[in-house]
Amino acid sequence: MSEGPRGAAGEMQPTRLHALHVVTGVAFLLAAGLGALLVGPAGIPPDQVLAQVASRIPFIPIHSHLSATADVVVWQLRMPRIVLGGIVGAMLALAGASYQGVFHNPLADPYLLGVASGAGLGATVAVVELPHLRGLGFDPLPLAAFVGAIVAVGATIALGRTRERARDATSLVLGGVAVGAFLAAAQTFLLQRDTPVLQEVYTWILGGLSTAGWSEVELVLPYVGVAATVLILCRRLLDVLSVGDDEAGSLGVHADRVRLAVVAAATLGTAAVVSVSGLIGFVGIIVPHTIRLVLGPSYQRILPLSVLFGAGFLIAADVLARTVLSPGEIPLGVVTAFLGAPFFLVVLRQSRRLAG
Amino acid sequence: MRRRTISAIAVAATAFASYGAASASTPARIAGRGAAPVEVAGASGTAGGTRRPTRILSLSASATQMLYAIGAGGQVVGVDKYSTYPPNAPRTSFTGYESSAEDYLPLRPDLVILAFDTSHLVAQLHSLHIATLVLPPATTVAGADTQIRELGRATGHAAAAGTVVVSIHDDLAKVVRSVGTRAAGRTYYIELDPTYYSATSKTFIGSLFSRFGMVDVADAAGRASSGYPQLSAEYLVKSNPDYVFLADTVCCAQSARTFAARPGFAGLRAVHLDHVIPVNDSTASEWGPHSLETFAALIARAVERRGASGTK
Repeated sequence: MSEGPRGAAGEMQPTRLHALHVVTGVAFLLAAGLGALLVGPAGIPPDQVLAQVASRIPFIPIHSHLSATADVVVWQLRMPRIVLGGIVGAMLALAGASYQGVFHNPLADPYLLGVASGAGLGATVAVVELPHLRGLGFDPLPLAAFVGAIVAVGATIALGRTRERARDATSLVLGGVAVGAFLAAAQTFLLQRDTPVLQEVYTWILGGLSTAGWSEVELVLPYVGVAATVLILCRRLLDVLSVGDDEAGSLGVHADRVRLAVVAAATLGTAAVVSVSGLIGFVGIIVPHTIRLVLGPSYQRILPLSVLFGAGFLIAADVLARTVLSPGEIPLGVVTAFLGAPFFLVVLRQSRRLAG
Repeated sequence: MRRRTISAIAVAATAFASYGAASASTPARIAGRGAAPVEVAGASGTAGGTRRPTRILSLSASATQMLYAIGAGGQVVGVDKYSTYPPNAPRTSFTGYESSAEDYLPLRPDLVILAFDTSHLVAQLHSLHIATLVLPPATTVAGADTQIRELGRATGHAAAAGTVVVSIHDDLAKVVRSVGTRAAGRTYYIELDPTYYSATSKTFIGSLFSRFGMVDVADAAGRASSGYPQLSAEYLVKSNPDYVFLADTVCCAQSARTFAARPGFAGLRAVHLDHVIPVNDSTASEWGPHSLETFAALIARAVERRGASGTK
């Protein structure tokens, strides 16, 4: 067994990703996806949904007899929502894990460096100042949120530059706090001037997949694909960084370069997904920490499994969001917080009990 | 105009719902000069015998409509930026959400009318010896009637207010009669924003549809939402309403075209029959006489279109 970063007691921790871990993650993701596919207010019998899906798989001789309406529900409403939920959950969990790695900060989440406030300000500007664009058939909100998030993190990186070291972790985090506070103030100012838009902006902030379609999937997939690839490739370097920047330097790893690459990739992916889903919290903290508590601190395990479990977690949370008050919905961000925080505490207590 | 109080209620459900729920049955309060808040009936206007206000500042679009309807427009010195009816009302840049009542002093108001008291403006105005009247969102037509009568008493137009209330009900009954039973049992969905926030029949706007005998598809989701649930696209496809009323045309630039272009919506009955009706956002969120009559007429016209389109 290969060994990697040290655990809390100083012992070397295993790093290898076992097939069983991956199989478990895939099984969780498939179970969540299947549940999401079969459940919904349209009340389509599960066997018909399964037959409909199977009929589209090549070489499977099953013919579906779903009505046109049921076909629309399955392929145009449920399926893109599941896929988008999976992409968003995977990206947020992956970005959260990566941020925790480069900043050595267990509370780091994808919004640490100002993505949330930047995207929030961008969304507010789009709603307040650019509503006329919607009349032209172009919704500026996703693009504005994306640009806002990128600009916010860019400002954080620029402000986080210190004399002693190009971009150390503490300076970046403090820069993120300052930028986040400034942009949040600007957003509040805009909202104060135009209170009728509060509802739309806050609906976006609470996060959700209620308007998910294939176009949103196509929109975010390239960004998430690039970001996820970069982050997964950096998983070994994150393990090296866990021993400290100076020690990593002695091993030939440029900590600030790795940090910049990881932050850039995580920001790109996070900005893309929040532009279509809004600000969904907790996923980036709960999922990586749960994996860490169960399988140890190696990012060679945490990052790939965050993709699978993050996707499955958000899909499952979305099932709750759209079924608990069905046919009404609950904002997805509310569900992730409500569900995730107690779950995380249970895992934490269980982990301590085992360690004790 | 983009005042969308109903939509805001959907998000800040608990706080706003408590206002809304109270509006139909709880009298608004007026704070008289130098006195603790007391019930409006005994405090001002001709009914109470206190001094008739001559410089009214209305920070509620619905109240502005009511003031002009009862003949108190001549006493109005300012209205908030969202009061667009009547067009000749003296509009200001105020929103009603100012943090300091001092902002209003240049207008020298002797009565300020609010829909909400989010910044403790009532207490501030009270300390400035300026009377206030809080008229929260009405949840029924009867609640709006009560507010019109209260405004009449507070402004010295009690008799005219009574006449306006009777007139509103007469006009409403006439419109409903003109439609007859053609709308009865027809389902509708009213959209407050593109993420499918809607209003049930327990809301002010929903109660209007009920008068025509129409059935709100949002009612099934209304039990835990204070009247403004968020529905899902899948539920809309399943419920397949006969009519869709888009009250997010201003805020969110929605239209029959953008609605039909959403995933899975092209086959909806309302889309197929051209029954997707654009509504000015504020018309759907205000409870003044003008909004009420405008919306009732809109429903009637929509049903007439249905008749013309050949459906049963």
